[in-house]
Amino acid sequence: MLSSEQKGKFLVARCLFLDRDGERKLLSRNEKPETRTSSGRTLAVATLLLVLIASAPSAEEKQLSIYGPQVSYSLPVVEHNGQDYVALLEALRPFGSVTARAEGQKWKLRFKNNLEAEFRQNALPAKVAKQRLRLPAPFLLEGNRGLVPLRSLPAILGVMLDTRTEYHEAGRRLFLGGAATHFTADPGEAGLSVNFSAPVNPLISTEPGRLTMTFTRDPVVSNANVFRLENPLVTSIAFSETNGRAELVVQGRVPLLARFMAGGKTIDIVPAPREAQSTPPGAPPAVAPATAQAPVSVASPPPPTLQSLAAKPPFLLMLDAGHGGDDPGALLSETLEEKAVTLAFARRLRGELQSRGISALMSRDADVTVPMDQRAAMADAARVALLVSVHAAAEGRGVRVYTAMIRSATSKPGDFLPWDTAQADYLLASRALADLVKAELGKHEIPSAELSAPLKPLNNVAAAAIAIEIAPSGGDVASVNAGVYQQRIAAALAEAIVVGRSRVEAQR
Amino acid sequence: MTRALATATALLLAAVLAMGVYLHILRRNERERAQNLPDTRPISAPVAGPPSHVTLYVAYDDPGVVRAQDATVALPADPGQRGREILHVLLGEYVKRPSSHELATGADVKDVFLVNGNTAVVDTTPAFAEGHRSGILVETLTVTSLVKTLTANLPGVKRVKVLVDGKERETLAGHADLQCFYDVVTVEQLLQQLQ
Repeated sequence: MLSSEQKGKFLVARCLFLDRDGERKLLSRNEKPETRTSSGRTLAVATLLLVLIASAPSAEEKQLSIYGPQVSYSLPVVEHNGQDYVALLEALRPFGSVTARAEGQKWKLRFKNNLEAEFRQNALPAKVAKQRLRLPAPFLLEGNRGLVPLRSLPAILGVMLDTRTEYHEAGRRLFLGGAATHFTADPGEAGLSVNFSAPVNPLISTEPGRLTMTFTRDPVVSNANVFRLENPLVTSIAFSETNGRAELVVQGRVPLLARFMAGGKTIDIVPAPREAQSTPPGAPPAVAPATAQAPVSVASPPPPTLQSLAAKPPFLLMLDAGHGGDDPGALLSETLEEKAVTLAFARRLRGELQSRGISALMSRDADVTVPMDQRAAMADAARVALLVSVHAAAEGRGVRVYTAMIRSATSKPGDFLPWDTAQADYLLASRALADLVKAELGKHEIPSAELSAPLKPLNNVAAAAIAIEIAPSGGDVASVNAGVYQQRIAAALAEAIVVGRSRVEAQR
Repeated sequence: MTRALATATALLLAAVLAMGVYLHILRRNERERAQNLPDTRPISAPVAGPPSHVTLYVAYDDPGVVRAQDATVALPADPGQRGREILHVLLGEYVKRPSSHELATGADVKDVFLVNGNTAVVDTTPAFAEGHRSGILVETLTVTSLVKTLTANLPGVKRVKVLVDGKERETLAGHADLQCFYDVVTVEQLLQQLQ
């Protein structure tokens, strides 16, 4: 890939060539027709080259990835005077309500209504939550957008969120509150098992003899960079961090394939089936001798294979505990807020699912603010098979099961899904699952109703998605938070998900 | 100036200052009190027109249904004003006590705009959303009742958008989406479930 500077030089060279060519055309106006034809052909080739250069992908934009116990997200990094900067407002927004205002040269920020920070345009000193900090580079103000030096962000977030931070500067990855997913590699005769401490969902790409797992949302870390293996299939695993993502590159002696196991906590690297090993001319043999050159350095690069597309994502659920943080939801009684009930139930349901071998992510696992759109974005990014949004209400009895209130649709493979109607393709699977949930609730003698509702974020989820609203079991509103009642509902839901799994998988 | 005169002057000045502070506090309290009062001013001039029969789709929290109900309303000729009057009558059912589906005092419709003949934009008062109870079902009942009543009485309207005090709002009270356009077909399907 060309850097922007290299591209510029290349463009200049091409323009000079054109100028020279144009001059020759002028001088030889009376020459033979074939000379003019040759000149025209040269011009056409030069124009084509210019178009190709202009359409070449630009240099990759700088990114910072932030990993918290509940949220993972990426921010763009901008460069000013040779320093990397990030927008502080965008960095804090996933953790709660944050507002900022510019007063002349000052920029004041208010976070969660009780923490304040103050910065001054082009100045190094700053005040964050009553603590004085000295920034490594001047604070910048672009309109109402405050930019802080990237190197100061760990300290600022550490103070504002009152949490431990760990910054991997080379890879631009920031870990909050001890968020980290470790892995171990267990080689075996059939291949290699990479076991992670939490479910992961990497992007997998393969070339003959090389398999790359790219982690953007998973806080995968490692203490070592390269693991050499004495294995008939896999020779080494290399871990690297770059531009807000981590990569695990597995080098093998044969074409490799990845299989997700244990709900995304294990990825098995195995040899690709013979029929999938469509060896292109000039490619290395399927099983290379141990002393052979590493397949990755073969002179003619092999074409991309379909193995990465064939690698099916794991059956992963997202449990979306409604509300949280600044948004308490409904006030069910004088002392009971909806956000507490939804979180307690989501945790209970996660346990029920795990006991049935199904892994579940949580959109939040603490009393934190998570914007509606972010919940859908998290589910879509993690490529979950199903989202279950949890709510509670004081009105009515039993459980109400909701699906999105949009028209069902079927888009062609490869089509972009509009954000507002991303659910349309999955609505039939969502309704089928809602039917099963209602049936299972009936078996557990819990009254239920099935409705559609204009509920955020169901419309924006590109997977089967349902919402449940837990109403009291009897006359006492406090029953929505009762352990026994919640356990019965969670068991019914988990059973329905186990039964409906094949239907949901088919829809994917 | 004698010592007594100086003391008296100082006391008077202190009294003036104290009165000033007291006056400021009184004014601030009065302003806050006025801001917290429900806005009960009429939001538009009364309209005149011949009495017409309309169908209101009234929500019932218990057992969570929406039922059709006939009413007679004086309706003007302008479609937007007709829509506003019909919704005014509907929301009037909800702000009275007791009600089958209580809404906060001051919940009303400020205006109804028709765009391209098939899209209605309903602008509601702040109390409509600020005072609304939170919950998927209660919010869905409100939206369904409002949209269905409007589309049933204004033929040709296929989509409805709800604003609060002239602005778009993410949700009604934490659940029902107010950023989307409500499609008459999907609302009709939901109504079947709510009957």
